[in-house]
Amino acid sequence: MSNVLLQGISKSFGELEVVHSIDLEIASQEFIVLVGPSGCGKSTTLRMVAGLEEISDGMLQIGDRVVNDIAPKDRDVAMVFQNYALYPHLSVADNIAFGLNIRRVKKPEIKRQVADVAQTLELTDLLNRKPSELSGGQRQRVAMGRAIVRHPKVFLFDEPLSNLDAKLRIQMRAEIKLLHKRLGVTSVYVTHDQVEAMTLADRIVVMHDGRIEQIGTPMELFRNPANLFVASFIGSPPMNKLSGSVTVKNAVPSLDIGHGASIKLRSDSVSSDDHGRSIVVGIRPEHMNIEPGNGPGWSEIPFDLTLVEPLGSEALIHAMVGDTPIIMKVETRNEVSHLNDATRFYVQAEDVRAFDAETGKALDFTVAG
Amino acid sequence: MKDKLIWLNKHFRREWQIYVMLLPVIIWFIVFLYKPMYGLQIAFKDYSIFRGIAGSPWAGFEHFYTLLDSDQFLRAVKNTFVISGLSLIFGFPVPIILALMFNEILHQGFKKTAQTIVYLPHFISTVIIAGIVITAFSPSSGVVNLLLSKLGIEPIYFLTKPEWFRPIFIGSGIWQEAGFSSIVFLAAIAGVSPTLYESAVVDGASRWQMIWKITLPAIMPTIIIMLIIRIGNLLEVGFELVILLYQPATYETSDIINTFIYRQGLQGGQYDLAAAAGLFNAVVAFVLVITANMIAKRYSKTSLW
Ligand SMILES: Nc1ncnc2c1ncn2[C@@H]1O[C@H](COP(=O)(O)OP(=O)(O)OP(=O)(O)O)[C@@H](O)[C@H]1O
Ligand SMILES: [Mg+2]
Repeated sequence: MSNVLLQGISKSFGELEVVHSIDLEIASQEFIVLVGPSGCGKSTTLRMVAGLEEISDGMLQIGDRVVNDIAPKDRDVAMVFQNYALYPHLSVADNIAFGLNIRRVKKPEIKRQVADVAQTLELTDLLNRKPSELSGGQRQRVAMGRAIVRHPKVFLFDEPLSNLDAKLRIQMRAEIKLLHKRLGVTSVYVTHDQVEAMTLADRIVVMHDGRIEQIGTPMELFRNPANLFVASFIGSPPMNKLSGSVTVKNAVPSLDIGHGASIKLRSDSVSSDDHGRSIVVGIRPEHMNIEPGNGPGWSEIPFDLTLVEPLGSEALIHAMVGDTPIIMKVETRNEVSHLNDATRFYVQAEDVRAFDAETGKALDFTVAG
Repeated sequence: MKDKLIWLNKHFRREWQIYVMLLPVIIWFIVFLYKPMYGLQIAFKDYSIFRGIAGSPWAGFEHFYTLLDSDQFLRAVKNTFVISGLSLIFGFPVPIILALMFNEILHQGFKKTAQTIVYLPHFISTVIIAGIVITAFSPSSGVVNLLLSKLGIEPIYFLTKPEWFRPIFIGSGIWQEAGFSSIVFLAAIAGVSPTLYESAVVDGASRWQMIWKITLPAIMPTIIIMLIIRIGNLLEVGFELVILLYQPATYETSDIINTFIYRQGLQGGQYDLAAAAGLFNAVVAFVLVITANMIAKRYSKTSLW
């Protein structure tokens, strides 16, 4: 059963259209993450769902109602804002109770629910404090508490963790995920941090310039990006791109990248008609090995090493293939000195993605399911 | 002690620019506020212009006894408190309400026009304000009486009736200043984070609830500061307007301490008595500011100092 449905949703500010006809179907209890670079329209889309922005075109359905013209308060959604939007003059308890007070819920009932939520979020000892007396993480929790206590159909989050420091962000990320597991409320979460998107989402929606580039589970996007934008946006460090022209020899396709080097391609990505066509391939840093692999699918590509960055159990190798900079991620096995001697990497055709050089569309892309 | 001196010396060397910037204010205070205080002593002297301030003989609290025995002075004190108390009660909330109302106007053009119209009277000289008031309430040709006569009511000689002085004075004061005073509150409202309202909208708050539960509490510190300042100035009734509007027939309700000082001192030449009245005024005002500040500190954690 779908819980939130966006059909051809567009948004214009005056003459300028910033969200272009978005289609998205969100299942009940699903955790959806909207991710994309700054200014791509994530917040605007979320705010249209919340009812804080008018929908210029299209249809929005929450539950089984079309809510385009329904006021935010009647949409049964709760939103957590980036700056938490806590009321500075109210105590933590009153902040959490705000939505219930507005709805004129009976006092003892409010008290019970606030205590409940405070327990869940470990805020019980802080209920009498003012927001100014809380740490960033505690404020964040109060903001979540205010949303939870309303028992909405849908949670909306707009970059709720971006004001926290890196360590706290990781901790809160895990808490949000646990909370979602426990409460099972449909959630739409906006972030520009792809790691956050990968770790939290049931499905990720990658947006770019007001359009959806791809929708899929984190692993689908990682393994099978629909285009070069998604390929370089998801994953860190980003996918390496190498361009060249297709040669097909004995029905085995490969990419000639110059300097006599070639990369074997998956046979389902190009056909013999594509001989001579110029394309771009993407290879994840994690899929490049410096130890030779054996088998027919492996290619060997020489590079000029520029820098080794040890990260602990892994290391990043920066290198040049011809004129193209690449980054590889390899295991160190507690030793990095040998990495400095690397001169070539090995990759399986299975792990090489091919994209059209002009449109950036994946050549071997198949919609999953 | 010695450490402190060394510290001070270092401090001044390092931060002298700040003190240079402070200097104009200090000079202003000395020239316009502290130096005239020297003249205050005539309140305790039998002052004569010919003998000068230093040459006049001391008179102790004589003038104060005279004042406290004078029905006119006591009436002026009472009128001052009544007029300013009433303007506080009726006038203080008006700019706040105006600011809240402006904040609710969504159409920018309409908002700007409305604001300009209510700011305007502030920029008109008090003399002209008085002229407008006198004209408007004139028994023969004033708008007010014209309207009343349309309703079949006999013309009223508003400005000669003691019972009408206070409403007219307070009303015209509000008309002149309320708009302009609302700017402070508008600025405070502008400082409230818009996401607070968005969050409230999603939680289901109506516009009224947002005003009561978000805007008002958010500007409460500003309201309290303004209130302390107003209470401190409680005895500073706009005396130009009183002088321009009052007449012997309305002294009963219109004569305030400042007009009393003006009449005794400048018109009657009793400088020592006028100085004593002025000093009395200042001391009461001083006590009022301190009390207001203390109360505000105790109950709201907001205060001037
Ligand atoms: N009120 C507005 N008036 C005009 N243009 C707007 C308004 N709000 C947003 N925009 C424009 O819409 C586009 C999308 O904005 P939006 O806030 O949705 O981006 P975002 O993806 O949330 O970015 P970020 O990651 O920086 O928050 C931007 O180009 C922005 O300039
Ligand atoms: Mg945003």
